[in-house]
Amino acid sequence: MWLAAAGTGLSALWKYDNAPGIGANAPTRWPNASVLVHTRGEPTLILLAHPQCSCTPASLAELAEVLARARTHARAYVLFLKPEGFSDAWVQSDLWKTAAAIPGVTLVRDDDGREARLFGSATSGQTLLYDGDGALRFSGGITGSRSHAGDNAGRRSLVALLSGTQAERAATDVFGCPLFASGI
Amino acid sequence: MTPSNPELTVNRRASELFASYQRDIYRSTDRLFAGLMGFQWIAGIVFALWVSPLAWFGSVSRTHIHVWAAVVVGGIISLFPALLGLFRPGRTSTRYTIAVAQMLMGALLIHLTGGRLETHFHVFGSLAFLAFYRDWRVLIPATIVVALDHMLRGMFWPQSVYGVLVVSQWRWVEHAAWVIFEDVFLVVSCLRSVAEMRETAERTATLEQEIRTREQAEMDARNAWARNDGILDVALDCVVLMDESGRIVQFNPAAERTFGYAAAEAVGTPLDALVVPADQAGSQHEGLARYLGSGQMAVLNRRLELSAVRRSGETFPVEVAFAPISLEGSTMFAGYMRDITERRQSEAALAERMSLASLTAAVGLALTRSADSRTMLHHCAEALVQHLHGGLARIWTLDEDEPVLDLQASAGYYIGLDGPLVRVPVGRYAIGRIAAERRCRIDAAGNVDPQIGDPDWARRERMVSFAGYPLLLDGRLLGVMAIYADHTFSASALEAMTVVADGIALGLERRRGERELARYTRDLERAHKTERQNAEQLAKLVDQLRVTQGQAEAATRAKSDFLASMSHELRTPLNAIILYSELLQEEAGERGEAGSIPDLQKIQSAGKHLLALINGILDLSKIEAGKMTLSLERFEIRAMIDDLVDTVGPLVEQRGNVLTVSCAPGVGSMVADFMKTRQILLNLLSNAGKFTSDGAVTLHVQRAAMERREVIQFTVADTGVGMTAEQAGRIFDAFTQADVTTTRKYGGTGLGLAIVSRLCALMGGEVSVESRPGHGSSFVVRLPAEVVDEAGESARPAAMAGPA
Repeated sequence: MWLAAAGTGLSALWKYDNAPGIGANAPTRWPNASVLVHTRGEPTLILLAHPQCSCTPASLAELAEVLARARTHARAYVLFLKPEGFSDAWVQSDLWKTAAAIPGVTLVRDDDGREARLFGSATSGQTLLYDGDGALRFSGGITGSRSHAGDNAGRRSLVALLSGTQAERAATDVFGCPLFASGI
Repeated sequence: MTPSNPELTVNRRASELFASYQRDIYRSTDRLFAGLMGFQWIAGIVFALWVSPLAWFGSVSRTHIHVWAAVVVGGIISLFPALLGLFRPGRTSTRYTIAVAQMLMGALLIHLTGGRLETHFHVFGSLAFLAFYRDWRVLIPATIVVALDHMLRGMFWPQSVYGVLVVSQWRWVEHAAWVIFEDVFLVVSCLRSVAEMRETAERTATLEQEIRTREQAEMDARNAWARNDGILDVALDCVVLMDESGRIVQFNPAAERTFGYAAAEAVGTPLDALVVPADQAGSQHEGLARYLGSGQMAVLNRRLELSAVRRSGETFPVEVAFAPISLEGSTMFAGYMRDITERRQSEAALAERMSLASLTAAVGLALTRSADSRTMLHHCAEALVQHLHGGLARIWTLDEDEPVLDLQASAGYYIGLDGPLVRVPVGRYAIGRIAAERRCRIDAAGNVDPQIGDPDWARRERMVSFAGYPLLLDGRLLGVMAIYADHTFSASALEAMTVVADGIALGLERRRGERELARYTRDLERAHKTERQNAEQLAKLVDQLRVTQGQAEAATRAKSDFLASMSHELRTPLNAIILYSELLQEEAGERGEAGSIPDLQKIQSAGKHLLALINGILDLSKIEAGKMTLSLERFEIRAMIDDLVDTVGPLVEQRGNVLTVSCAPGVGSMVADFMKTRQILLNLLSNAGKFTSDGAVTLHVQRAAMERREVIQFTVADTGVGMTAEQAGRIFDAFTQADVTTTRKYGGTGLGLAIVSRLCALMGGEVSVESRPGHGSSFVVRLPAEVVDEAGESARPAAMAGPA
């Protein structure tokens, strides 16, 4: 009975960690309303993050891996959600500092999730890749499960796209905290 | 029971110790893991709170599920084995549960850390911890859990354990192999550790055995010393240990009591200076020196009786035995001494008792076997001298005619019956005063009779004691016994002499009695001779009397025979006379010849009287001749009385009398001769009616007891003429009536009551009479309720019973 209880508990935990969040409904073309800068001919990588999400460090680690392995330069943004009423210090968390340490990454404070909504994203760790023409090439998570770094389909696809090769997948499940309490 | 084989004992103890070590390790490791479980649980919670305290939903947060997982799942995994470790430590199930739980905790931590490879080291660390049990079997369930965890997670959530999403299905085998790789080292380590532990247990058991053996040896040695000391303490004999110089090294309590020295005083003092008399001390010392020089010593290993000295200076006899005790490099001597003062006294007392017993026996022999008084007394005097070690013993006897004591025996220094004390008047000299006062005298020999002519005799012969005893029997003086001795008489000896004096007195009296008896015997023999002559004469007279009696009895029988035959011969013509006189009366009446009737009546009356007389004589003669026999039968008494009254009633009432008959209730039946009983009552009632006029005649019948027999008592009373006491005394004799006038006045043969008396006697009963002149008579007949004839027969069969 004890063994069954322990197994059940572990199994439930594993199920939770492997339950994906809400996928993005990102615009297929770069939205002009975005405050982010998209330079023509230069791919733009966007990762939307919740500054307090404990699952997102894995995504940042994978982002660093992607940027390190990519053969072409891409403008990379990490957008940290700042709900209304929260301080900057809440936004500039350890996660912020981790992201800041990734070379070539621009950190953007997304007040009240305006950009996230603009890009149709609802889950922390959601990653979007627009090519130099502004077309959406990838939308999904770059971790295999919650908080778990390591090789996964999202990372491999991004690296392939940024390396000019055929991507394994254009969309993957995203694992992270919801960016909004009640949807987009 | 403890095994006698030491090797077996050690092996068993080693097994016990090894099991104990294992048990201790299991328990301590269980408790270690109990703490570790708690620590891991708390650490997991802290880690979860640190890494992912909250789960965010936009601007809204709540506790992260990892925190709850750390609390709940970690608690499930940790608490149960932790409790087992705390409350059921040492059990195999606890150990195995902990092993599984530890691996599950590793799985949880790996998960909570996002499958970090670093966290996998928890698995290896846990295996190392489990090896603390030193039970390699514990690693098996742990390894299985790890393998299953990796296999299942690799199948369903590979990234949570391998960090990649796509892995080989055999990746878990690789992980498990690494775990087994570590297991190999841990198993080897466990086995070595167990071997070392077993070796430690064996060494410890061996050491314990050595310690026990040593302790046992020490305890045996202490017990041996304690036993030796105990033996010496409780020994009744003195035990003294000496060194080679003769100095005392041990002095036991018995020695302290005997010699009067404390052990502390005696130890260190030479034995010869302490307890050996001065005149023997030198020889004892020389003996020791001789033994040490030559190994020879006369007193060793022998029992000797010597003298010893107490602290008070008293010398006393001791029984001594010395024995050498060889020690390493030296020799000691053990002396065993026993105070034999009491034994010597007992021996002396026993010897005296033996001597006195011999004296008593010798005197007894002299008293019983001597031919005459003088020899008897001589032997007694010799016995006194011999057994009391006396110098002189003498015995005097009292002259029967005058108060003078005659010397009868003398033994010891003087055996002659002469000298001044041959005849001693009672009251003179010591001997005479003993006789006069009839008291013994115990005195110093020098105080006795200086006036006998030789006062220096006692001093010259070294006589110191005198004892004189009167020879008394029932207070009567028979003589005096005296003895001189060169020593003081003991109380036992004096008591024995008292007994001897009494014995001699008895012996003298017996001798006198024997003389008297001889004289009486002679007289008796003479008287017996005379008596024998008288008896012979008496026998002749008896013979003559017997002849005379025979002649008388023959005459009586001849008389009875004659009477019987004569009565028979007389009755025949008498009956004819009576019958014809009656016929003649009838004819005279018929012819009118009334004048002749009175004469005929007289003839008839005289004939009847004569016939009655003859019948009575015939019955009486039969009885006296012993020819009357009984015809016993059982009959109802009341019926017999009724029949009797019918017969005798008219006769009684003829003289105006009233006949009254009464039977007591329950008078029942009796066994007797019916006809003779009837005849007894008929005679008595006829007499009563005959001697009573206008009066009353009564017959009363009842049962009574006579001399413890049941009897039927018939009482016939009348109010007639009565009798004097003198007449009543001879009324039952034959041919006797109250007086001579009776026959004339009342008629009768004078045989009726004689026959009544004889018949009563014949049936074992009796008849008695009480009477006063003018007041009537009362005859009482008592017959046994069951008459027994001479043959012992009681009654004939019922068919022959009398009338009812």
